[in-house]
Amino acid sequence: MSAGSISYNPDGTLNRSKTKNTLGPHSKIATQAAFYAKVKYGAKISVGSMSGHAANNALQIAMETCDADVLHLYNDPSFAGADTIGTAEVLKKGVEKMEGQMERKMDIVFSGHRATDGETGQTGPQIAWKLGLTFLGNVISYDVDLEKRTVTAKRLLNLRGVPEIIQEIEAPLPVFIAIDPSYKYHFNTVSLRLSAEKYKKEAHEKSQNYQKYIQTFNREGLGAEKTLIGLVGSPTIVYNVQRVPKGKAIRNAKVLDGSNPEHIQQTVTAIKEALSAMVIK
Amino acid sequence: MEKYDVAIIGGGSSGLAALKQLSNLGKQAIVLEAGDKIGSKNISGGILYSKKPKKGKVTNVEDLYNNFLEDAPYERKITRYILHSTSKDKIYSMDLTAAHDYQSNFGCTVLMNKLNFWFAKQATEASHKFGGGIIPGVHVKSITWNDEGRAIIQTDELDAFEVKAIIAADGVNSEIAEMVGARSKFNPTQLYQGVKVIIKLPEKIINERFEISSGEGAAHLFAGDVTLNHIGGGFLYTNHDTLSIGAVYHFDSLLKNPIEPYTLIDALLNNPMVSELIKDTVPITKEPDKSLPQEEQLKTRFDIAKLIKDWNDVRGYYFTSECEDPDGVKARLDSLEEQMTEKFGITFGIKHVESEYGAKLIPDGKRCRMEKPFFKNILFVGDAAGRGIFIGPRIEGLNVGIDDGVLAANAVARALDKNDFSESYLGEYYSQLVDESPYTVDMKQIDKDYLKIFLDAAKDVPSDIIGSRYGPIMKMMSSNTFRGIAIKFANILGYDKLLPMIETEDTYVKVPIQLAERLGKIVSTSYFPKTTLIGDRISKLSYNDDHISHIKLLDTANEFMKKIPLLCPAKCYAEENGKIILQYEGCLDCGTCSQKTEWRHPRGEKGVHYNYG
Repeated sequence: MSAGSISYNPDGTLNRSKTKNTLGPHSKIATQAAFYAKVKYGAKISVGSMSGHAANNALQIAMETCDADVLHLYNDPSFAGADTIGTAEVLKKGVEKMEGQMERKMDIVFSGHRATDGETGQTGPQIAWKLGLTFLGNVISYDVDLEKRTVTAKRLLNLRGVPEIIQEIEAPLPVFIAIDPSYKYHFNTVSLRLSAEKYKKEAHEKSQNYQKYIQTFNREGLGAEKTLIGLVGSPTIVYNVQRVPKGKAIRNAKVLDGSNPEHIQQTVTAIKEALSAMVIK
Repeated sequence: MEKYDVAIIGGGSSGLAALKQLSNLGKQAIVLEAGDKIGSKNISGGILYSKKPKKGKVTNVEDLYNNFLEDAPYERKITRYILHSTSKDKIYSMDLTAAHDYQSNFGCTVLMNKLNFWFAKQATEASHKFGGGIIPGVHVKSITWNDEGRAIIQTDELDAFEVKAIIAADGVNSEIAEMVGARSKFNPTQLYQGVKVIIKLPEKIINERFEISSGEGAAHLFAGDVTLNHIGGGFLYTNHDTLSIGAVYHFDSLLKNPIEPYTLIDALLNNPMVSELIKDTVPITKEPDKSLPQEEQLKTRFDIAKLIKDWNDVRGYYFTSECEDPDGVKARLDSLEEQMTEKFGITFGIKHVESEYGAKLIPDGKRCRMEKPFFKNILFVGDAAGRGIFIGPRIEGLNVGIDDGVLAANAVARALDKNDFSESYLGEYYSQLVDESPYTVDMKQIDKDYLKIFLDAAKDVPSDIIGSRYGPIMKMMSSNTFRGIAIKFANILGYDKLLPMIETEDTYVKVPIQLAERLGKIVSTSYFPKTTLIGDRISKLSYNDDHISHIKLLDTANEFMKKIPLLCPAKCYAEENGKIILQYEGCLDCGTCSQKTEWRHPRGEKGVHYNYG
């Protein structure tokens, strides 16, 4: 069974081995955000991916994008059929594994805005919750104060009926950042640009034999509990997939004549009304 | 403020040569390139020469990049160089291979996008050792100087920074030259406008049609009726598996007799000889059955697209010299064709396949090279310094730019050693190096040996065709006894006075037409190319549009701006109700309109990106 590019097993779980394996666009933006920390603050980067594929193309793209130091692949038959919380458990264990290897806690954990195969956007917050990290969602830019050990971030908020709001916040490290799709890093000095170019070159070379950098962990290797992962650990069952029905046009169009001054007056009034409705009082 | 030793503005072949040379000399330099990827903003006609002048020394591409001949992605080494005079279906061809080989190690066809990318790779590796490198996506906005004479560079993208010296390699429309007042904009009498299309053709078909082997290349030049009465001509160069076909005309000749630049390309494509050379077999698809459900139609389109892609790949491979199992590949190709025909009713027809359209202005070094190519601690190189060589069929630019880049790098390295960046120590020294360069000498003086080769090639041309205008000169030039005297006299006169006599409609239009009519052979073709609309040509290019225009209109009520809708190679201009309007999206950054507008290069990463160049 399949809808769009998403495949399902007969039991209604996602068939991830048939769903096309690549780095999702949102995850790619998360790796770009991590690359920013590498260039600007000399961060070490570990990338983790739960996947049914042994040869993991997603991790290659991740390597090319962020010049990672470590690539983790979490692969075990028992991970299959996981919903968001089952996935979050595996990835939490993955982060803890990375921390064990580095012998220190993570400062920032990045996730994408949402997955493109599951489309729910819950995995990030759930990992943050499981790790006990401060969760910052919809982040469009961030910077770290290394001395104060804080992060300042801009968040893009979309509230119904209100134009886009950018909220600026400061939080103590460590944090979990779910990166907004509109994130784009910007290096504003020659030295940062030069080191970005150097890391990009290194990333490209490393991505050519990315397999060398992959460490694969199964359930046992991660020390994940059977009851919290995979199908067993997943309360969600997909029993039906439907297209979002097309909404009926609710536009109230009116044909106006540009050469008629009265019509122009009407248009101006209408625009004024629309604008005044948009002002937050 | 961050401080660096040297900034090179512009990542074309000249700027990259400067970076490579400075790195070879152990100096720190950074290249600022406006394109998002090195090479994406570069376009050239397509031949890079390596020269061995009788007197003096030049740095050739293979001197600077030692692995050039083994590793660089150049296209083909030119082995045939032919000038064609055209009149309708008649063509008179003159073999100028000897003129091409004159003082040359080799001349190879190139596509700047991939070649500059390769240059950049070599230069970057060297530059990293000394804390330099290449920064793409950066557009320089202004340059000022502090009290110590250090240059402060402001860009649209980065914080300001300080450098000791600058090498300006920002091309024919050098904003640096204009903003600091080093020179005024080049005017139409000093410029050529070039437009070019890249046409796809499999490697072995090129070999067969041009009678060359896989490593060899042919260069064809055209004059006569294909010029549509303009001073200049057409060219056709063979690349590995594409052809570069272009039209290069003197800007003031275009101004006198305005014509849409792309019609000059079309005139060339429609010449029967060219038509025969560019045609290829292409699949012709039928529209899917409209009565089928939309999803079904979409699926059919995808299937067709995939089959055609496979067919193109397999066919391309079949016609390469690397194809090891021609019979096996041919069988696959046949089966693909069978599937295409049987499943989807695809037929095969004859067409030419245009992959890319582009344009640029080219400086005529005889008329516009900077006498003093420096300003304070800025040195100008290549096109930015106006250094293109156009002497009859001798057309060079890339090699001159590379040599300039190396000379500028040497001068800057010397200044760094003495920590003296004054005009007298840096600028004057560089200016002297450039002055002594054999390329500069060639731009100033007529070389009688080169002329002899050219005249020998033209020995069958009846003297009455040459016309009364320069009959006596030609007679003298053709005589071994008098040539020396004639050239001495000509050099006393100087290029300034001679050029108006040589670069005329007679030379580029009338004489070639007469030659073709009287001596030419009839060439017939079965293929009559359909004109590609300019809109279609532009829509194939990739753009990253800026939300603000890089061109600002000034007064449009002048003769130049009235002609601009015809002169702009991208048709960005139109006249509406007597007013000139501009749509800057779709601009090729060529600078044709910069004469009478406020013109800037697009900001970093913005504007057109060429894939071939």
